[in-house]
Amino acid sequence: MSRQVISATLAIEKGKIVCADCGRALVEAGQSWKRHAALTSTPIRDMPGAASAVDDKVVLRYFACPGCGSLLDTETALPEDPFLDDVVKA
Amino acid sequence: MDPITFSIIRHRLFRVVEEAVITLKHVSGTAITNEGHDLMVSLYRADGSLLMGGVGFLHHLTSAAEACKSIIRRFAGQINEGDLFLLNDPFTAALHTSDIYLVSPIHHQGKLIAWSACFVHVYDIGAMNPGGFAPDAQDIFTEGFSSPGIKLIDRGQLRQDVWDTLLNMVRGPEMVALDLRSMIACNNVAKDRLLALVVKYGEATVDQACLTLIEQSETRLRQRLRDLPDGQWQSRQYLEVKGETYRVILTMTKQDDTLVFDFSGSSPQSKYAVNCTRWASLGGLFAPLFPLLCYDITWNEGVIRPITMIAPEGSIVNCTRPAPVSVATVGAIQSVNNAACSAIGKMLAASDQYADEATAVWHANHFAIFMFGTNQRGGQSIGILTETFAGAGGARTFADGVDIGGEIPNPISRMANVETIEAAFPIRYLFRRRLQDSGGAGTFRGGTGGEMAIVPHDAPDGGIHYVLSGKGSKFPQSEGLSGGYPGAINDYVWVHAPKDAERSFANSLATIPGDKQPISWGVFPLMQKDALYVRWNGGGGIGDPLRRAPEKVMQDVIDGVVSSRAADEVYGVVMSHGTVDASATQQRRSDLRRVRMAGGRTA
Repeated sequence: MSRQVISATLAIEKGKIVCADCGRALVEAGQSWKRHAALTSTPIRDMPGAASAVDDKVVLRYFACPGCGSLLDTETALPEDPFLDDVVKA
Repeated sequence: MDPITFSIIRHRLFRVVEEAVITLKHVSGTAITNEGHDLMVSLYRADGSLLMGGVGFLHHLTSAAEACKSIIRRFAGQINEGDLFLLNDPFTAALHTSDIYLVSPIHHQGKLIAWSACFVHVYDIGAMNPGGFAPDAQDIFTEGFSSPGIKLIDRGQLRQDVWDTLLNMVRGPEMVALDLRSMIACNNVAKDRLLALVVKYGEATVDQACLTLIEQSETRLRQRLRDLPDGQWQSRQYLEVKGETYRVILTMTKQDDTLVFDFSGSSPQSKYAVNCTRWASLGGLFAPLFPLLCYDITWNEGVIRPITMIAPEGSIVNCTRPAPVSVATVGAIQSVNNAACSAIGKMLAASDQYADEATAVWHANHFAIFMFGTNQRGGQSIGILTETFAGAGGARTFADGVDIGGEIPNPISRMANVETIEAAFPIRYLFRRRLQDSGGAGTFRGGTGGEMAIVPHDAPDGGIHYVLSGKGSKFPQSEGLSGGYPGAINDYVWVHAPKDAERSFANSLATIPGDKQPISWGVFPLMQKDALYVRWNGGGGIGDPLRRAPEKVMQDVIDGVVSSRAADEVYGVVMSHGTVDASATQQRRSDLRRVRMAGGRTA
């Protein structure tokens, strides 16, 4: 079965979005995969290199593969903002 | 047309633009133009459509096309051989008032056959704050001279009344005059060289080559789009002014051979001057599109045809008159640049064929620091700190971003030498260098940004003042890709020296004596022994930092661009006695992956 790359860390295989590293299936192709990833987040102010005036609430969201822990995507976000959804057609 | 003639004409058109850029730089006397390369020159067809986009700030290519079209409409029946028009109204076509367009019709045997257009950020435009960026402005009426189109040269004769009126409204009129003359010279060179091409090959042949070139660009871009997967990609940019947060939201949809950039959901327009107009947003999305999708395609009208933009009226990306926009180029326009760069990067990364062309967001947060005051020779100086153009490269899918490596919207951006700035202003640099932990972490690291500090030096008035504006220093903006981290954030710190302070030779922010006050918007003094510290953001990273080669991380630590803390916490690399401890690194990375899998603090 062929594998379609949809990012440097994700692919579509057998109709599902999978982790490109370990092949763990996350969700059906065409759907939002981020809700099926392992989510952690860190306040930007706590990260190395933070500036003196950084916003207290802004975080870096980490979306990792629940199977192998590979980092699939990140996004800068305020807590009230939704995930950024990227959908690649199979 | 035979392919050799076509190819020669295509290259000659490019050279016409290139020589005009050189002319612009050589005649202008301002660092922002001839050192920072805040400029643009392009050729347009008789109807104002883009024929040959040049280098410089690429978000001007489409806006200057609209400037030509607006002049054609406004001056119908009054466009003569030897004319030259000035336009700088943002609600007509320009990006902000201080980026003046001079557009020149090109006639051959009495017939209008083309236009040349150029811009520079003039020394001053008479806004309420010196230098053109006006953080105190509350509407367009306080942002200086603004024309929707005026004839500056009539049949080869300078209109002295118009010239004198304009220069009467600006600070530093002699420098503004030099800026304007550089653009006149630039247009003259473009016109002369294009006419020489027409004389050599004939008007019909050149016109046919131009039409073919546009058709070729459209065909090639549409084919490239068909080669890429259909889909929808989103990106988001935050910007902040005086405690208020704004968002630029983009959903980019690619279907078959078309691309739609939809900015619905972006914040309402601001009372502050970070807004941009519709034409500015259009230019803002094309600035990354040209180099990322059309790196081997001529930048002309053919590239524009497959693209659609949706920008809600009354939003920060399509504000309505009389909203202030003087900070747009370091405000919402750059947010549009960044959002488009991020979405295009994701689309490219979704293709086996084009993954190598993908990039994280480059240097994403311009700052505008215009210094003004009495210089060491007793004269008056106004000018920008060109470090804002130094930039930082976003990571690629196969390599790190280039440290202090420029920016996507301007392929020739750069910063002036320290000595140039010290010669123009009564200041002294304490240091200027790469900034540690500024490049976004990743398998491939983003290029670093930089940091610098300046103090007054040999200043007759005890120092100078500066106008500071931009998108703030609260949010990362150079987003990573596929697990890469964003580059670090800008920072502006006013260090209030103690009364008994010695002359400072500090080499870091921490060692500059005094109270440190973060600032980001307004007019500030730099007097006596106070210091101004500035740092600018790095590029975004690509890929999981835990997959970065440990030896590269160690080299970054040795080079001072990554801290030991980041090596441990972000990259999971354990070093001991100057070498990588391979087994401890493997264990550390496994531990960090387990933390991710377990989930932790949530947003």
